[in-house]
Amino acid sequence: MATDKVASVHSRVDDPAPMPARELVIRARNLRKVYRLGGDVAVHALRGLDLDVVTGEYAAIMGPSGSGKSTLLQILGCLDVPSDGSYLLSGDEVATLDEEGLSTIRNRRIGFVFQAYNLLPRANALDNVALPLLYRGIGLRARRERAREALERVGLADRMDHRPNELSGGQKQRVAIARALAADPDILLADEPTGNLDSQTGQEILTLFDVLHGEGRTILIVTHEAEVAEHCERIIRIRDGVVESSEHVTTRRRPPSNGDTGA
Amino acid sequence: MFFENVKTALEALFGNRLRSLLTLAGVVIGVFAVTTTISLGQIATAGITSELQAFGAQSIFVARIPNDPNSPAFSDDDIEALGRLPIEILQQRSTRVWAVVGETRARLVLNGTTANAPQIDRTIALAQGRFFDSGDEQRGAPVIVLSADAAEELFEGVPDPVGREVLIETSGGNRSFYTVIGVKQRIAGALGAFANDVSGDVPMESLFRDVPGLSRGRYDFLPITIALDRDASVIEQQVRAILDRRRPPDSYQVQTVEGALSLFNTVTVILQALLGGIGAISLLVGGIGILNIMLVSVTERTREIGLRKALGAKPATILQQFLIEAVMLTVIGGVLGVALSVASLWTVVAVVPFLDVFVLNPWVIALALGVSVATGVVFGVWPARRAAALSPIEALRYE
Repeated sequence: MATDKVASVHSRVDDPAPMPARELVIRARNLRKVYRLGGDVAVHALRGLDLDVVTGEYAAIMGPSGSGKSTLLQILGCLDVPSDGSYLLSGDEVATLDEEGLSTIRNRRIGFVFQAYNLLPRANALDNVALPLLYRGIGLRARRERAREALERVGLADRMDHRPNELSGGQKQRVAIARALAADPDILLADEPTGNLDSQTGQEILTLFDVLHGEGRTILIVTHEAEVAEHCERIIRIRDGVVESSEHVTTRRRPPSNGDTGA
Repeated sequence: MFFENVKTALEALFGNRLRSLLTLAGVVIGVFAVTTTISLGQIATAGITSELQAFGAQSIFVARIPNDPNSPAFSDDDIEALGRLPIEILQQRSTRVWAVVGETRARLVLNGTTANAPQIDRTIALAQGRFFDSGDEQRGAPVIVLSADAAEELFEGVPDPVGREVLIETSGGNRSFYTVIGVKQRIAGALGAFANDVSGDVPMESLFRDVPGLSRGRYDFLPITIALDRDASVIEQQVRAILDRRRPPDSYQVQTVEGALSLFNTVTVILQALLGGIGAISLLVGGIGILNIMLVSVTERTREIGLRKALGAKPATILQQFLIEAVMLTVIGGVLGVALSVASLWTVVAVVPFLDVFVLNPWVIALALGVSVATGVVFGVWPARRAAALSPIEALRYE
């Protein structure tokens, strides 16, 4: 775990309440990513991006397509490494890790939630949630126990033995969130988590994220929808491979008050 | 992790049951051919060995060259000369006659021989009755011991022909009645399997009395029995040395049981080579089938692989997963191949009379399964490495 404690960086100077000192989960400096498309053609996806995210933060990453936000998410999620720059995850440099090291980080410290859920079609909800724990080498019994707890957290206690094709879109995304939670990661990364859901179900998922944030989880959501972003505390805008702005959300969207959704 | 990968592999294979089975066919045939080849050779060897042991002795056969005027028959003097060797010689004269029982007429080889024939020729065993004794021999008694085939032909449907009469008719028109005193057992094993032995043994004296024109003391054929503890090839050399001094050059043949078996072995080896070749080709083709289906499987499951990697599966884990799947495929093929082979060999042993010992060595099964595993590894490693090397981002993006 990181030991350096710094204040969260905010672009808005008029932010009245100073943030309490919290641990940095993400400290990215001068991240660059160049894709070589054969020959002399090179695409600069990231052009020296800096980003700090502190423990418990709830941030949205927004940006037009081609801005580099997908590349950023892949690097933050350790699915890819930057061409240059430094990425400290909870104080550990991960920008220079090999595939073996990256997979360990992905397994233990990153929780992914994808737009397309990405569940194994042949496995039931419980086994899907237990999958990252399997790759951590945890025994079957402990794996199932933790997966069960995670599914209960997302309100799917009665769907554990259902396969993905027996679940609704919202339920599938809850399974995916449970899978991310079961691994107890440092950060939850969600890539357009409501992109495939109707607005009602999307709201339920966002409410679930709100609840998880309330419990102190660090959550980064990549989205292009302003309503989604406004659930978060902070909106990071990416353009042309750098952070264009980072603003504190003054009026956060609250979950619907009827209270029958979420965990 | 290993067991999880085995489980995943089984799920994947059972998820595509028909495809898996079709892919297996090549491996099944290959393993079947290899296993059957080796086991068939062992079964044949075991059958021959048990036969030789059943004889309780080794045999060689000395024969004049048929229809060759330069190859005289063997004489009593020849037998006496050979008698210095530690061997026993069956004295036997044979001629072809007609045998008549009621309406039934059959061609019969009539052997005149001595009462000690069953001690010398170990293939003689009686199913019914008795062999003639030295009293019968001296009297020239009109008694006959029929071979199994002869008894069957002449006394079809009669459970016990002992005591019944057979009319023996020579080509010269002599007719005499003989009483059946015994019926021999069919010769067991390879030597008796294909022979249609319609013959009857009578005392030598009776033969000379009832078949005029047969000169005494002349033999076309000398069956020689050698004790098991003697080296048959040495005895054979000694027999040749004696006969070479007494006879014109190249005027006789020596046949050994080993010689007959070596022909049999040659056939077995050719069969083995043929089946082995089929096995090798089938395994190669089967392996390419495995390779193909594993590449398809990796491509189909690109997203799954990407997901597993995104969730922390290491390249080695993915490699193992797909390698296990390939090996599982070939091992199932191997098990089916061995099962098919065992079933076929059982059938062969049950149907072919001279293959009467079922042999299935554990190491043959081990070899078959080893070959299966090797096929899976050899042809599965490339697709598995492709899977392991997939970039998680690319794989997740794959449609």
